[in-house]
Amino acid sequence: MSDVYIVGADMIAFGRYPDRTPGQLAAEAALMALDDAGLAIRDIGALYASSSFNAASMIGQQVLKQIGQTGIPCVNVSNACASGATAVREAWVAIKAGIYDAVLAVGVEKNPRGMLGGPPTEGPSPEGLFGSASMPAVFAEAGMVHAEKYGTTIEQFAQVAVKNHHHATMNPKAVYRKETPLDEVLGSEMIAYPLTKLMCSANVDGAAGVVLVSEKKAKELGLSRAVRIRASALTSDPYEPRNPVMFDANSVTSIAAKQAYEMAGLGPEDLDLVELHDCFATAEILHYENLGLCTEGEGGSLIDSGATTLGGRIPVNVSGGLLSKGHPIGATGVANMVEIVEHLRGEAGARQVEGAKIGLAHVLGFGAATGVHILEKA
Amino acid sequence: MTLASDTAMLPKPASSVIRVGADGKPFIEAFRCGACGAVVTEQTLACRACGARQAPEAYRSPEMGALWTWSVVHRSYPGIEVPFVSAIVDLDGGLTLKGTVIGAEPGQLHQGLRLRLVFDDAGGARNKEGAPYVGFHFVPEGDA
Repeated sequence: MSDVYIVGADMIAFGRYPDRTPGQLAAEAALMALDDAGLAIRDIGALYASSSFNAASMIGQQVLKQIGQTGIPCVNVSNACASGATAVREAWVAIKAGIYDAVLAVGVEKNPRGMLGGPPTEGPSPEGLFGSASMPAVFAEAGMVHAEKYGTTIEQFAQVAVKNHHHATMNPKAVYRKETPLDEVLGSEMIAYPLTKLMCSANVDGAAGVVLVSEKKAKELGLSRAVRIRASALTSDPYEPRNPVMFDANSVTSIAAKQAYEMAGLGPEDLDLVELHDCFATAEILHYENLGLCTEGEGGSLIDSGATTLGGRIPVNVSGGLLSKGHPIGATGVANMVEIVEHLRGEAGARQVEGAKIGLAHVLGFGAATGVHILEKA
Repeated sequence: MTLASDTAMLPKPASSVIRVGADGKPFIEAFRCGACGAVVTEQTLACRACGARQAPEAYRSPEMGALWTWSVVHRSYPGIEVPFVSAIVDLDGGLTLKGTVIGAEPGQLHQGLRLRLVFDDAGGARNKEGAPYVGFHFVPEGDA
């Protein structure tokens, strides 16, 4: 089967866009990705469009109405925070199957305001009566399991926010570009112990797009800025005794990582950078271990060592991550890949990971779904 | 426990795991797979753990258990009183529930802490017909 390449990748700056529709935001990202590839909408065989909250509104067709109604198949994808990675993976599958030479994947979200989580119910609101269904509480509880088992401290969790906010100061498309020293992170409003406000992801709007092509098409276009998809893995949560009463962020991720490493014939030691799903600071520590960046229980030590900071052994979330680049749900999985692509091309500016050849992009959707992609400079 | 004084109206479960007997007394119902022993909170069509095509069997769950993890929640949705302790509790017999822990200082909380499930009036809520609800929370073992 033909390899699949990313030849176009771009995103709009993440932030608030009160006067623009999700379709308009996604269309802008789609055109940016097409321009980056040097292709037009008439070159595209299919569109996969992701949005956790807007997929049911035919978000992909809205994009085509903005940039060209060519009549191509358009699939609208909703898979929680893994929506974007799911759209890219489906594009990858379609090219692998030999059906298309060029496919566009675009992710977008205008997030609802306020704290996410908590299903609507009949009767009294369960919130507070039966614990908390808010996302901060869910990821606080996941972090506390790690803290109890391995002695991980609130300072170690907080250092994730210090690092990712630092990284974001070098990313012009990040919503927050401000250093946050440890005492500021620890001193910000406590949301759900051990998570303070600065340890929770930024709830913003955004859109990102990638153009995937077959090997034949990539060679026609020239490989100088192309990125090869070495692995694409997508999982749903396997049975675990406490799931779903307790959200299981770990097994769904570690299984996807294992599949991706096997598909690529690579291991975590081969990676030059990682964009992982730091929806909350606790999650980043868990995913260090789930993705094999360190051994089980060593996540706290890994952040302390500086290995995951730009310039370290394995830089993680040099984009600023969801914590400070921002987390427009359906766009996040695509944006993580845009970031990896920029580094593999050597076009990441001040935050460039020097000599980056291989990168991994990970997202985790509540409910649950994980996408892991391994990308390599062509 | 004492439910509302109007005994004519049986309380409505405020959580899907609560059942109310004909005598008005609430209990927790769980389901166990006859093939692999997995315990879940709902009657699924087949076992979600092993896929066995026999529906898991209902059982009345013990109300003692152990704390697995928790968070002290300081900000929740608008109108929800904070702070409170959100906890994941493994009940004896295998059922895991999420609930609020009342009557424990944050410093007292640790994995394995023995807790008792206590039924309550779900914050005094009533449905449209005026029937009371029954909910639950957890307290440290030995507390009333």
